[in-house]
Amino acid sequence: MARILIVDDALFMRQVLTTIFIAEGHEVCGEASNAKDGVEKYKTLKPDLVTMDIVMPMMEELDGIGAVKEIIRLDPKAKILVISAMSQQALVVEAIRLGAKDFLNKPVNPDRLKDTVRKILANP
Amino acid sequence: MQDSYREIFLSESQEYLDNMNGCLVKLEENPRDLNSLNEIFRCTHTMKGMSATMGYDKIAQISHQMEDLLDELRGQKKAVTSNIIDTLFAGVDLLEQLLQEVRLNQESKTDISACMEALKNLLLEEPPPGPSEEAGPLTRKTPFITLDEVEWTEVELIKFKEAKENGFNVFKIQITLSENCPMKEARAFLVITNLKRRGEILAAAPSLEALKEGRFDRSFLIVLAVKEKSEILQQELAGISEVDDVKVSSAEIKPRASSLSEPAHPQETASEPSAAATPSGGTGSAGAQTEQPSSYLKKIQSIRIPVQRLDKIMNLMGELAISKIRLVQVVQSLKIQELEEISFTLDHLTSALQNEIMQTRLLPVAYILDNFTRVVRDLARRKNKEIDLEITGSEIELDRVVLDGIGDPLIHLLRNAIDHGLETPEERKAKGKNPKGKISIQVTRQKGHISIEVADDGRGVDFAAVGKKAVEKGLIPEQEVSHLDEKRVLEILTMPGFSTAKEITDTSGRGVGLDVVKVKIESLGGRVDFETKIGLGTKFLLTLPLTLAIIKAMLVKVRQEILAVPLMNIRETIKVRPEEIKMVQHFEVINVRDEVIPVIRLEKELGISLNRTQETTGINEAIPLVIIEYEKKALALLVNQIIGEQDIVVKPLPSFVKKTKGIAGATILGDGRVALILDIMSLKN
Repeated sequence: MARILIVDDALFMRQVLTTIFIAEGHEVCGEASNAKDGVEKYKTLKPDLVTMDIVMPMMEELDGIGAVKEIIRLDPKAKILVISAMSQQALVVEAIRLGAKDFLNKPVNPDRLKDTVRKILANP
Repeated sequence: MQDSYREIFLSESQEYLDNMNGCLVKLEENPRDLNSLNEIFRCTHTMKGMSATMGYDKIAQISHQMEDLLDELRGQKKAVTSNIIDTLFAGVDLLEQLLQEVRLNQESKTDISACMEALKNLLLEEPPPGPSEEAGPLTRKTPFITLDEVEWTEVELIKFKEAKENGFNVFKIQITLSENCPMKEARAFLVITNLKRRGEILAAAPSLEALKEGRFDRSFLIVLAVKEKSEILQQELAGISEVDDVKVSSAEIKPRASSLSEPAHPQETASEPSAAATPSGGTGSAGAQTEQPSSYLKKIQSIRIPVQRLDKIMNLMGELAISKIRLVQVVQSLKIQELEEISFTLDHLTSALQNEIMQTRLLPVAYILDNFTRVVRDLARRKNKEIDLEITGSEIELDRVVLDGIGDPLIHLLRNAIDHGLETPEERKAKGKNPKGKISIQVTRQKGHISIEVADDGRGVDFAAVGKKAVEKGLIPEQEVSHLDEKRVLEILTMPGFSTAKEITDTSGRGVGLDVVKVKIESLGGRVDFETKIGLGTKFLLTLPLTLAIIKAMLVKVRQEILAVPLMNIRETIKVRPEEIKMVQHFEVINVRDEVIPVIRLEKELGISLNRTQETTGINEAIPLVIIEYEKKALALLVNQIIGEQDIVVKPLPSFVKKTKGIAGATILGDGRVALILDIMSLKN
């Protein structure tokens, strides 16, 4: 199955996502708690898919949107799934504009997450 | 959700709440503090996400409502008012209460309706002055759209024809999103972005603008010029989540009166996205133009380890350190070159390891001090006093156990300063002081210990009043009132029973008097000092060890016993000739650089009896003295031999011997012998 990198500043969310992914048979190849680390891990791990929390604290000039931009710059084919709260429409739109493949709202519904990931991975 | 998440949820949430409290206070001071505002927003946002995932609906509702309000503030659609700050504080309090219920695994009985109502009202209050663009999306409904509803402009018609002539397929694509699709604007944008990668959008109904703003119900229509066949589009669009239904059909034009000019000009909208979205596929160059959204404060990156595990590691480290000392001693006596090298390395490694482990137990004092801004704010309000709290040195790190222990005493000192120390603004004005009182907490690190100073610039302690009250309570004889000094006043203030009933209500039923502060600080191996000046203020000084587990100590020999004297209490060690110790009024004293210091013979003080024959020191042999300092007074301890400085692992004494005068604990030395740790405090009398 797919190798997934989780970028989220809340340990709690990372745990929830990891559990869902592992149950689905995916491999969580890395976790990052900030945007900077997320980009670094993307470079070294080259995951099939990244889940990106869009609201994250600024880390060395990089936040969630910055990380999306940077990852797409490094790898135009990167598959980024944005995880966001309902109120972050503008950020999500920005992320899509930058090349994010899809987005999901918190609270994350496990079935919807599985479905979305499946769809993203199915598309070349 | 599973129980295993609960712990993480709780501790993480608590961190967020603490952070929110701190930032709210900052925001109250400076309503333009965008950093704090963003930080609070981020915290509520994360709280909402986590609690909703966990199914804690009330927490999610409150944080959601708070987030909405904060978003308005961030967007500067509303100004930060004291009313808003108060309501947000109330929200944080409520969250704390709800969290406590989760912590205790209780059924939630907290009523959140009042707070929800207050937050909602603030949101509704004075609608934003700008164009109310957000009023539209939910009300205007376009239930079903057919191609006929697309109003073609001249330009679009020309494009349509051009596309056909150039061999493009022109499709009308009807997309229906799933019912209750969250954030449908973004969803529509995602669909549009995907389509734009394939070809050119000629028209849309509702207009692209309207789609972006969410002014549609569930379905919308796009006219697209592409090279690909309809099946490919169908497949791609169906692959987007939340897309319920896709109908792709060939578009034929039915020209209509094109007098109405749609603002949704495809070319206009197509030109604004970055390179990633252009059909040419020229991605990668993403020289995106948009400014990044506001920055957020850095967050401390950390991992969580149960405290018990750290304690266990520390304990094992202690045992290891003892064995190491033992090993080093044995190796030294064996005089084997190779072994000595190994033991040398081992010695260094264990020291380094010990140091690292000590570090893991340390937390910045900010961990507790940060909450104090809130405490002071609330208390000041209740007392109608204006107070500036100044905290310095909050980055200094302390052992977690010590930190745990000093929270309550510090809060008590703060309450004390606010209740009794600081005057009301009117009184202060009358005295020619700044009506705003000042409380400062200053943390400084000294060798082996830290000191925390809690000072106010209030009225100071009136010795006579304290004396009078103490006499009334029968704590001191009446004749003592006339000659009270600072030291004695502190003793009186910290006597159990000195606190009046009034104080107990002031401290919100805690019933903690200054006596408890003193007991607590001393139980941590620290001490309390006190300075006051009438009219100028009062200062409490807490001196605390950095850690409780391993301390630096001077090992000394008193007769056959080895004692450890905590280094933090030692000023110096000297050697004197026997005749230098003089008798003054039945007390032995020594003169050190013009300071007369009382001498205490430890063997007598601790009742260490001489066994076997009396082995008095030779007449002319120098006598070692350890000069210790306590409450600014020096004492010279007369010992038989100074062994040296060493890290010792403190092992608390079992409760049945705890009260032994002069002894604070015990430690195991490298050779397995037990050494008692001297309790400086009990020696001072």
